[in-house]
Amino acid sequence: MATDRKKVAEILASTRRQGRRVLLEHEAKQVLSAWGIPVARSELARDASEAVRIARELRYPVVMKIASPDIVHKSDAGGVRVGLSSELEVRQAFDEILANARAYRPNANIAGVTVQEYLPQGKEVIVGAMQDPSFGATVMFGLGGIWVEVLKDVSFRLAPLTAEDAKEMIREIKGYPVLAGLRGEPQVDLDAIADMLQKVGDLACEFSEIAELDLNPVFAFDRGKGAIAIDARMILKEGS
Amino acid sequence: MAENGIRAIFEPKSVILIGCSEVRKADVHATFFRSIVQAMRRFYKGKMHVVDLSGQLDGTSRDLRAAPRKLDLAVLVLQPKQALNCVRKLLNRSAVKAMALISSGFTEDQAEQLSRTAVKRGIRVLGPGIVGVVNTSNGLCLMPKLRAIPRRGATSFIVSGQGVGPAMVDWAHLHGIGVGKFAVTEGSVDVGAVETVRYLAEEKGSRVICVYAERTSVDGRRFLQALREASKQKPVVALGCDATRSTLARPSIWGGRIFSAALKQAGAVLAGNIQEFFDMAEALAKQPPLASDSIAIVGSAEGPAMLAAEAVRREGFELARLSEGVIKSIKRRYPDVCPDNPINLTPNAGANCYGFVLGRVLEDPQVNGLMVVTAFDSCPLEPEEMRLLADVAKSVEEKPVVNVAIGGDWYVAVRDVLRDIGIPVYDLPERGAKALRALRWYGKLIAERNMTSGDRRVILNGLRDVRRRTFFA
Repeated sequence: MATDRKKVAEILASTRRQGRRVLLEHEAKQVLSAWGIPVARSELARDASEAVRIARELRYPVVMKIASPDIVHKSDAGGVRVGLSSELEVRQAFDEILANARAYRPNANIAGVTVQEYLPQGKEVIVGAMQDPSFGATVMFGLGGIWVEVLKDVSFRLAPLTAEDAKEMIREIKGYPVLAGLRGEPQVDLDAIADMLQKVGDLACEFSEIAELDLNPVFAFDRGKGAIAIDARMILKEGS
Repeated sequence: MAENGIRAIFEPKSVILIGCSEVRKADVHATFFRSIVQAMRRFYKGKMHVVDLSGQLDGTSRDLRAAPRKLDLAVLVLQPKQALNCVRKLLNRSAVKAMALISSGFTEDQAEQLSRTAVKRGIRVLGPGIVGVVNTSNGLCLMPKLRAIPRRGATSFIVSGQGVGPAMVDWAHLHGIGVGKFAVTEGSVDVGAVETVRYLAEEKGSRVICVYAERTSVDGRRFLQALREASKQKPVVALGCDATRSTLARPSIWGGRIFSAALKQAGAVLAGNIQEFFDMAEALAKQPPLASDSIAIVGSAEGPAMLAAEAVRREGFELARLSEGVIKSIKRRYPDVCPDNPINLTPNAGANCYGFVLGRVLEDPQVNGLMVVTAFDSCPLEPEEMRLLADVAKSVEEKPVVNVAIGGDWYVAVRDVLRDIGIPVYDLPERGAKALRALRWYGKLIAERNMTSGDRRVILNGLRDVRRRTFFA
């Protein structure tokens, strides 16, 4: 997939024009998609009818998530519903998600609800990027869940990454055997993860105004079947 | 080739020391000056002229007008105002290639003023700050409060961090680590870590470059690029301090490990602490790179051999399966020896048995490196007899040999015998295993960079050359 520099710049500029530094999930995914990084298809719904229309286009089942720059941890806010298979479920979920979010943070700026295609579970990994004050664009990789939260099992490299850098990042984490295939399980698509790491690094190098970028989780599928970013969070630098 | 000005900082043929030895309250410069004069008088082999502005030290002049007309290096150990004043006076009189300012408390304006003067005159400057240089080959010892300089060796050090440089030199001296050059560059306005790395990469006496750096004290990617270039010339060992006050105050998944990752990415082998830093450096300076993970362990008894086997496994090594021919030849000559890797010799084994077994094991094509582990109670050899390790290593010179001598006095005695003949000695199997890891890292780096057998020959020749010039000096 080719990179569309102009489109990325437009999305970032549009976010700034709206006085925001935090991109909404669907905006962050548009940036990633424009940069050739595979993402789960998703769109923003401003009301329940729009959510139903998007769900039909994406095909059931779908996932719905609160879209607010002020709510980072969507699950904590009761802002995520998965496996919604009908119009009725989508309408109910829309109302519930908004109500939960308002209860969780009454002053939050809520843009609507993101409707996303439902994908089969892959091995969860995390890919991130940030601008280090001394060294500039830096990429992070790890397994998702407790591996990253409790064990801090992550690797880092400065961007841009060579293909070998990206592969080393993957091999370096303690949980690597989980990806390489444990107890007869198939190996995940390591080349697809390496490619994603390189692209994320290139994006952070090219657009140094992206202060933080988290692709979490990324689903890594079996070898040859790719890797895809399920959720994305992007924050721009202050005042740039 | 290194620029003359930078070389003059490390290899000056003539030096002027300028300071004020009169001790005043809340001023460290007089103490620094006195200690540097004392150390330079004791160790420095070049021409030296000392100007003591207070005129208290014997054998010094009080007047800068007595300074020679031509000088390689001017060293000023003074408060900022006095230092700038002396720089001006000195440069009006003498042609100087480089200056080192061991001087704390410079304001940004004063540092800029110094920088401008240096640029205008084409002079390279180390400092101002608590900087320092040691060169064991010419006895240059410009490090505050240092009473002794380390042994001469082929490893050179750069410290870019606050308040650890002189302590590391002192530590190297205490532990008998061979040092080539040692530079503390923290806060220098001109010759900093980047310039020093480049100089050491070209300098022939330094076989290994060791860098201790704090992330906030180096020039970001420029520093990493210098390391990357240097690692193409010779091994680079790095100990990076990634912590800053803000990462300590607000820990996050990003904090504390990026600098180390960047150093690794630049081609350095990472040391986890100061001891590993020196251990890895010593191994890389004295032994060839390790071509695979397959190694052998020979112990003076079962216990030491097993401890070592555990230690190397934790570092990712495999115990080589010895060839049938090697097993048979050992069994035939020494039936008491069990030739399964890890091999353990008996308390009755003499020097001949040690020499034979070690030689046969190291020659085995399945074995790419050897760790010899002796404990003081089970090893029947005298420390002097341990010299046989150097003979064994010399017979198969492309494979590394490290020694672990378990025990207090035993370790010190064996280390004192072997350190001058190119065999690194450690007191614990874990230290030896880390040293092997560094040698394996270098072996991988060479393989990744597709170095030809001719290039490997250059490495071995370089090793031989450095050994001849330093360890056998």
